[in-house]
Amino acid sequence: MVGTSLVFLAAAIVYAVYALPTPGGPRGGTVIGLAFGIAGYALMLFEGLLGARKKVPVWRLGRAQTWMRGHLWLGLLTLPLILFHAGFAFRGALTTVLMALLAIVVVSGIVGAVLQHYLPRAITTRVPMETIYEEIPHVRAQLREEAEQLVGTLAVEAEHDDKVRFHETYAQSIRPFLESPETAPSPLFPSLRRAIPVAFHQALEDLENICEEERQLNRQRRLYHWLHAWLLVHVPLSIALLVLGGIHAVMALRY
Amino acid sequence: MSDLHLTIDGQAVTVPSGTTVFDAARLQGIAIPTLCHQQNETPAGVCRLCVVEAGGRVLSASCVRPAEEGMTVATNSDKVRNVRRTLLELLMADHPSPCARQNQSGDCELETLARQEGLSGSRFAKRLSPRGQDDSSLAIAVDHEACILCDRCVRGCGEIRNNFVLGRRGKGFNAGIAFDLNKPMGNSACVSCGECVVSCPTGALTNKFVVQTELGGEPAEVEDLLKLPYFQKVSGTFLELNRNAVVKRHFRAGEIICREGEYGSTAFYLLEGTAQVYLSTPIAHVHTEGGAHGFFQRLGSRLLGRKQDRREGEVNRRTIPIDAPVDLPYDNPVAELGPGDLFGEMTCMSLYPRSATVRAATACTMYEMLRNVLDIMQRNKNIKGRLDENYRRRALEDHLKNVPLFASLTPEFIDSLRDRVELVRFGKGDVICRQGDLADSFYLIRIGFVKVSEDHPQGELVLNYLGRGGYFGEIGLLGMGAGGGGRRTATCSALDHVEVVRIGAEDFQRMVDSFPEIRGSLEQVAAKHLEQNRQRLKQSTDVPLDRFLAQGLMEAQSLLVLDLEKCTRCDACVRACADAHDGVTRLIREGLRFDNYLVATSCRQCRDPLCMVGCPVGSIRRRQSLEVIIEDWCIGCGLCAKNCPYGNITLHPFEVTIDNLDAPGKRAVVTKQKATSCDLCTEHAEPSCVYACPHDAAHRVDPNQFFRDVISG
Repeated sequence: MVGTSLVFLAAAIVYAVYALPTPGGPRGGTVIGLAFGIAGYALMLFEGLLGARKKVPVWRLGRAQTWMRGHLWLGLLTLPLILFHAGFAFRGALTTVLMALLAIVVVSGIVGAVLQHYLPRAITTRVPMETIYEEIPHVRAQLREEAEQLVGTLAVEAEHDDKVRFHETYAQSIRPFLESPETAPSPLFPSLRRAIPVAFHQALEDLENICEEERQLNRQRRLYHWLHAWLLVHVPLSIALLVLGGIHAVMALRY
Repeated sequence: MSDLHLTIDGQAVTVPSGTTVFDAARLQGIAIPTLCHQQNETPAGVCRLCVVEAGGRVLSASCVRPAEEGMTVATNSDKVRNVRRTLLELLMADHPSPCARQNQSGDCELETLARQEGLSGSRFAKRLSPRGQDDSSLAIAVDHEACILCDRCVRGCGEIRNNFVLGRRGKGFNAGIAFDLNKPMGNSACVSCGECVVSCPTGALTNKFVVQTELGGEPAEVEDLLKLPYFQKVSGTFLELNRNAVVKRHFRAGEIICREGEYGSTAFYLLEGTAQVYLSTPIAHVHTEGGAHGFFQRLGSRLLGRKQDRREGEVNRRTIPIDAPVDLPYDNPVAELGPGDLFGEMTCMSLYPRSATVRAATACTMYEMLRNVLDIMQRNKNIKGRLDENYRRRALEDHLKNVPLFASLTPEFIDSLRDRVELVRFGKGDVICRQGDLADSFYLIRIGFVKVSEDHPQGELVLNYLGRGGYFGEIGLLGMGAGGGGRRTATCSALDHVEVVRIGAEDFQRMVDSFPEIRGSLEQVAAKHLEQNRQRLKQSTDVPLDRFLAQGLMEAQSLLVLDLEKCTRCDACVRACADAHDGVTRLIREGLRFDNYLVATSCRQCRDPLCMVGCPVGSIRRRQSLEVIIEDWCIGCGLCAKNCPYGNITLHPFEVTIDNLDAPGKRAVVTKQKATSCDLCTEHAEPSCVYACPHDAAHRVDPNQFFRDVISG
């Protein structure tokens, strides 16, 4: 953080010294502007290398944690450097798009960092029955099967009407939730317990545990999406930014 | 002997003195219904269906009532018929109709009599508490519900077969038949002769059929089987009913009989010819190392033998134990089997993978049999005696000498032991010796797996699992346990079908007195085990046990823990592990939670190492440092991976060039597997999983120190 702040400060001073006396405002084509542009683009390339680094985790190229820290702090520097390069002005269509992309990439990165800082804690505390994300559908199918088996093989000595009531309660309140926990209302077990004879309470408790696990898996799925969904914005736009940035550099230097 | 004259149903009858009324009527052609009486058994008079009017105050059971001079008997009067009908109704009230026998062959005697009486139901209430079934025997099904307590099976077992396994248990309403001291039939001394099944009038005892199994050979003729020494005195009825369970198979020279690592359910009895038994998997372990040095190092795995890469704690083994009457030499794992050899017992009895490949060396004829047949053979006293004799004659010396500690025993001493050791069999769950009992024997394991455990107030602490070649009982005999006094220091129980060689205390004492070096080695090993056990117990009391023990973390040397508050569930650690091991991960991001840490699935050297149970060649063991090591002769069957409850053992495929099993004399490239567990990426300063974690969430820790810190906050 200290390094990033110092570099930012130094860049800001250079920009101020160079921009203020420049008639018509600073431009990217000047030596200083070009230097900011090259530095900004080089940082973008470094940012992009994190993805490549992850592809070869065994290569001893520095700990992944060090790379991640570099990605975060140097990534933050990219935006001011490119703004200094452009002189806070978006002159053409390509540069406007580039600037918008950069802003989105940086903001999505910050959002991602914040989410990845807080959401793991939320998953840990709110989903004690967490499982591997890819296995959630399988575990859910198992839970449904377990509940069906529990109700189907229930051996309780009770009146016929009570048995019918219990099965109806399961079919109307519990099964729909187990089949689609995202949309069906969560069963209210305290009230179900009041409505069903004591003989069925043990079975109801087992079903409550199954529903609780289902609820937690649903919560895990939701939190997991939040934890990783931002990458769907961040990664493709980063690639687009690198490609368009390269095109911009070639065009600007050549023409 | 004088004759008696009596009248039965108006007919004059003359019979010798001592004849029962039942027999007198039978001689006259008058049939009296009965359930408990058979001509070849002593009458018991318990079913009372054969009651007759014989002039007394009450009706008499004709099967036990002796005929008397001048007696007038009515076997079919209204009174007798009414009583008989009521008795049938009472019996039918408890009878599950149709019972198994009625379903199998339609000749349940009780149901037949009830039908003859025109009974379709019973006026009496059924019993409320079920009496249950016993499905533990592989040959005979027991349905206590259908038992009418006629005792025909008890008399058949004792009087006819002289086995005396069956008896009565309980009284009154709780009475029933029992095997030994009320053991499940499969765990009792029952030899499955089938006499009880033949005797039973109902479906309480029925033969189990193996009709669906197709072994693919030519069905063995019962007469041929019964001529073989091994099958003499096996119930012909049983063999007849289970015709498909034993087949005769012919193999051409060079043909493969079974392959190592394959799952099977049969054992083979070699009738004619010779067979070669060997391991085709390379004797080597998986070694991971850098393929190229420097910055862009990439790890690779290859197979290395003991000579190229000797690992810590490896001992110089001379033999490899397999599921056959012989062991394989380590340096050249090939041996020969001949006529009369029985192999594949562990596979057949406990469904373990085949431990070796067997190929017909000459044209071979074999009997291939299923578990129920082998079980009956092993229970048969005659066969058991032959197997014991075979073992004493051929295998005892090898077996003893293969245990490094006993390598110095002289042939003379082994000869003196030959007739004194006992081959004892135990069923799954049987306790072989119990902690605290007087030590009276030393045991050497021939087949199966034994769990060694100590009882503590906190619960059972599993000390070890022992497989073939393992031994136990020496600590008590050497008087080295806590307090000395020759008491057992641990409980040893059978995890599956186990056969042990029992050496009595006297012979053991003679052995350690005659061979002081064996005493010294045994004492040394025993002292080491006791110290390890003490350490283990100390570790378990150093930290709160309920959580620590419950999660199986006590014995771990190095745990991969993930800080769940930092882990973004990106699986970089798993991918790194896979990348470091040729694409085969040895780590799964799942496991038990401890506080906010996840103990990831990566070998943790459990206190209860279930992975060691069942290895058909005994190639997985602990090092002295407690780490699990997979020995070079692993055949890659995958049973350890399947048994590990945490999924911490993986199978690593390799392409190797070996003798072509299907074309003798030629070589072929085949894919062989070797079991692997986490090697901590010892090539590097830091394991790849930790190195690749971008969020500082993955750590390799010493569990005791780490969790002590976590617990103390």
